[in-house]
Amino acid sequence: MKVSRRIATTLFAGAALMAGSFMALPSQQALAAEQVDDKLYMVIAGRQPVSHLDPALKYDLAVRMMQQQLYDALVKYEGNPSEIKPWLAESWTTSEDGLTWTFTLAKNAKFHDGSPVNADAVIYSFKRTMAINEGPAWMLEGFVEADNIKALDEHTVEFKLNKPYAAFLSFLPWWYVLNPDVVEANTKDGDMGKGYLLENAAGSGPYTLERFEQGTAYVLKRNDDYWKGFPYDNDRMGGVIYRLMRESAAQRAALLKGEADIVTGLSVEERQAVEKREEIQTTSLPALTSFGLKMNTTKGITADVNIRKALAYAYDYDSFLQIMNGEAKLQTSPFTDAVKGMVPVGSMPTRDIEKAKEYLAKTDHPDGGFEIDYVYVEGFELERQMGLSMIDAFKDINVTVNMIPQTWPNMVALGSKPDTSPDLLAIFTTPVSTDPDAIAIQYHPSSHGKYYASHFLDDPDLNKMIEDARAETDWEKRVPIYAEIQQKIVDLQPEIFGMMRNRGMAHRTWVKGYEDSPIRMGGEIDFYPVHLDPNS
Amino acid sequence: MNLTGTRAAPKSSAAGEQIAKPVDRFREYRRMWATFRRSYSSMAGLVIVSIFLIISAIGPWIVPFPEDALGSIHLERKLEPPSATHWFGTDEVGMDIYTRVVIGARTTLYIGLTITGLAMLIGVPLGLLAGVGNTWLRESIMRVTDIFLSIPGLILAIAIVGALGPGILNAMIALSLVWWPGYVRLVQSKALSLRNETYVEAARSIGASNFRIIFMHILPNCMSPIVVKASMDMGMAILGAASLGFLGLGAQPPYPEWGAMISIGKNYLPDWWWYSLFPGLAIYFTVLGFNLLGDGLRDMLDPKQRS
Amino acid sequence: MGRLIARRLVFMIFMLVGLMAIVFAISNIAPGDPARLAAGPDATNEMVEKIRQERGLDKPIVTRFVVYLGNLTQGNFGVSLHTKRDVASDLARYFPATLELVLYAIGFAVLVGVPLGMLGAVFQNKWPDHWIRFVAVSGVALPMFWLGLMLQWYLSLELDLFPLGGRLGIMTPRPETITGLLTVDSLLTGDIRAFREAVWHLVLPSLALSLPALASIIRVNRAEMLETLNKDYILNARAQGIGAFRIVTAYALKNAILPTLAMIGLRFGWMLGGTVLVESVFDFPGVGLYATKAAVSSDFDPIVAVTLVLGACFMVVNLIIDLLYALLDPRVRSQI
Repeated sequence: MKVSRRIATTLFAGAALMAGSFMALPSQQALAAEQVDDKLYMVIAGRQPVSHLDPALKYDLAVRMMQQQLYDALVKYEGNPSEIKPWLAESWTTSEDGLTWTFTLAKNAKFHDGSPVNADAVIYSFKRTMAINEGPAWMLEGFVEADNIKALDEHTVEFKLNKPYAAFLSFLPWWYVLNPDVVEANTKDGDMGKGYLLENAAGSGPYTLERFEQGTAYVLKRNDDYWKGFPYDNDRMGGVIYRLMRESAAQRAALLKGEADIVTGLSVEERQAVEKREEIQTTSLPALTSFGLKMNTTKGITADVNIRKALAYAYDYDSFLQIMNGEAKLQTSPFTDAVKGMVPVGSMPTRDIEKAKEYLAKTDHPDGGFEIDYVYVEGFELERQMGLSMIDAFKDINVTVNMIPQTWPNMVALGSKPDTSPDLLAIFTTPVSTDPDAIAIQYHPSSHGKYYASHFLDDPDLNKMIEDARAETDWEKRVPIYAEIQQKIVDLQPEIFGMMRNRGMAHRTWVKGYEDSPIRMGGEIDFYPVHLDPNS
Repeated sequence: MNLTGTRAAPKSSAAGEQIAKPVDRFREYRRMWATFRRSYSSMAGLVIVSIFLIISAIGPWIVPFPEDALGSIHLERKLEPPSATHWFGTDEVGMDIYTRVVIGARTTLYIGLTITGLAMLIGVPLGLLAGVGNTWLRESIMRVTDIFLSIPGLILAIAIVGALGPGILNAMIALSLVWWPGYVRLVQSKALSLRNETYVEAARSIGASNFRIIFMHILPNCMSPIVVKASMDMGMAILGAASLGFLGLGAQPPYPEWGAMISIGKNYLPDWWWYSLFPGLAIYFTVLGFNLLGDGLRDMLDPKQRS
Repeated sequence: MGRLIARRLVFMIFMLVGLMAIVFAISNIAPGDPARLAAGPDATNEMVEKIRQERGLDKPIVTRFVVYLGNLTQGNFGVSLHTKRDVASDLARYFPATLELVLYAIGFAVLVGVPLGMLGAVFQNKWPDHWIRFVAVSGVALPMFWLGLMLQWYLSLELDLFPLGGRLGIMTPRPETITGLLTVDSLLTGDIRAFREAVWHLVLPSLALSLPALASIIRVNRAEMLETLNKDYILNARAQGIGAFRIVTAYALKNAILPTLAMIGLRFGWMLGGTVLVESVFDFPGVGLYATKAAVSSDFDPIVAVTLVLGACFMVVNLIIDLLYALLDPRVRSQI
């Protein structure tokens, strides 16, 4: 046995040595933010990767968040409620007939390389996006032709519309202006700079791109010479790091540990948990986003409006509020509160089992006894919880719910055709504009095929009202039409209207100047006014 | 052949030994059981697996809130820590986690059995065919098997579930599709070694059909390694399904599944630790049980491979 | 030997084509519409059609497979609909990270597993042995992602010993890319700080990833050592006054090599698959995360490319292991 002991000692020593070599590594000092040459870099921990930076391609919250810092547009959404502010365009005028829009550019605006932002650059950028015909191109399609955008002089741009378009201005904040020289210099094989702009920027925004490390972190450097200046006085603000963290437990850990200054995408519970810490602040704001359950109005059991009404009256709306711990507001109209021209609709269904049964009695299934499919995005917690509450609520009218999680692509594909569109589809939509047309058009046949129109609603009266309202440029005349539209949509009940959930984020107290704006998507932050103040 | 001969695989077909056989077999079983019982870990495995099977069988009758397993929600008591009423606490919609963990055993058993069962159904016949068939058949079966074996299982499973869409059924199909090659390899090598045994040669020489040889001689002799592998695979299959669940590609609510519970519960770590802790422990113990049992079975049935 | 390698390599190419065909077929069962997805949520139907035609997604699957194979021979892995980039450049970015993670995990499993297995044998049926066997049986029963989360929480947040995730501190200057393996590149460029940091970031993920392999290695080594210890020549060696250290290194370690190698070959595939789970917990920007993202977004080209690369990687590793086996074990050599 002596042999064994000697062998054991040898092995132990070896193992300890190995383990030690792994452990004897530097321990990190708790840095609250990253510091580079005495400049502070604010760290945002978010879950969604920035797939690219090109303003002419598909946008999502992460893409748009980065673009908003690197680029400027003619106008910009700011504040709560979201309002359109002059940006690259100092001012603009509209002709009587609503067809001609003339923008006057700020004279001091300059790109990151110092060259001026002029009318040619603006026109070049619009034409590029239209030619690529992806991303934001749909917003102006059919209303503006590329040849009808003209430079009147170095600082004046004129748009001639094919027909009046009330929502025109409300889309322009997403048309970012690129530096044509940089794009042209980096164009390969006539790709209009698409290859280059995926991971490089050619803008005039408040930040420049310092590093684009796909899948890990994206580093922006503050553009100290920003032509518009900054709304705060703090020279130590050096930049912003958007760091990817895929697990919310890790996100929260990073926030508490000081590895992240801002954390987005937390659930209500998580937000309320970190809020208890002294060094953490949270914000919560009802967003423009609506959460609804779209019903297929052309096929299957929900094709019958009385079934749709019955389901809408059976639904347990309070569960929305309970799931959100009260941080939500029920919709009182198909339009969310932040949408211009929203009026509460009196006949909006609330939970009322008697009424639900009355409607059910008018159908082929007076006693219920049928199944409905509820399709939602796998991994979307809130939608799953809504499904669970639905199982409970619909038991009262003897309807069985079949919960079907789907990947996002499969769900989009299912919802794009009337034959495959499910009975109930959970949809979060954040319109890109506060103009009521952005919501109303979702109930128009021209939206069919898009995921938020999986109801395939096609009502001639409603269609006409929507078309009239978008062609009218006088706001006063549009208001009554939209009131009627809202009433009409509720009557048709193409969906169970849900809630506006509060979305929020948590940040350390030394993050200053943050302001949420309903038009931004959940987790999308405009860094322009945000800065770090270590002395507080 | 007579009735005695069909009962099990004769190790030798010499007719004179047939009378003595039942006694021999009884002794053999006793010896096996003694081997098994001697090992604490095998017994621990047997106990854990037995408890697991009992819980799966009587689960709905022993839980305090059986309706919670079917999606009955109680938002007023969400995320409560473990207490006398809710032994394992409640989840984000107020369902009793103890109830869901216990009833989840059924789902888990169902997943494990389906995956290993399907994998065996595909793998064993192919393995037999490859083992006794002609060169051409063997080569084609084994090359396809090699292709499936050449890709990390979880990655292929993710590709399959990604295409079919999430859901427990699809997860099981995907995992079965990546699991069967192991059985082909196992059975084929065993069958190859058996087909030149004297008694198989003898059977063939008296004109037994291939079909008969497979079912009378080869398959019964492959059973031990198949059983051992299946027991081990139950554990691995449960882990595999839980992994898909963790990636959000697993079970369909409201039915309780441990992997899916961890996947949701992980968002609630560490403040609401009970949510993912208990399903995690349940997976750990179940997989542990099947592994220990598998080890024990191997020692018992296949003493040559003992380690 | 040379002819054997050549034959195996040729065979590998056929296997990879077969693998591609399978994955290609699987990805095409999906009802998802990749063109619509690439176009974005508000895209008009014309915009979707344009993308569909540009990417050839309107062609029948067999045509697309042939086109894909043709492109592949020119080193073109296609374009990711999601990241809008060449799949080849995406892979060049993500694959080294995964490779590094797996190599460290194997390293850890071997360096810790071999001594632990031997210790277990030396202390057979005493308390260190019980603990070691506990690790060995638990290692294969613990869900890897769960362990990762726990390690992250306790060692990283509570004790602040390790970073939460990533490959390097965010603002740490990146060493020049030579191999893509950060620890190798930083050493090559003499950047000790980056090296220490990269290793420090690798500890937790590779620990979590290595556990199943670690457990298997402990088991085989314990068994092997038990057998060795009972051999006459060990007693003989001891009787001749050979020290414990020599016994371990000269006899025991030598015997440990082959079974350990076999275990690595067996576990390597699961480790590659496991990276999917571990990378997600530790935000390790590797190919596993990329594959998952591609799979759930019906992004065909990356799925096919990833399975291809991982399959090739798996085959090469097994080839290397077989060759090592042949080199080290004369019995096997004669069989080849």
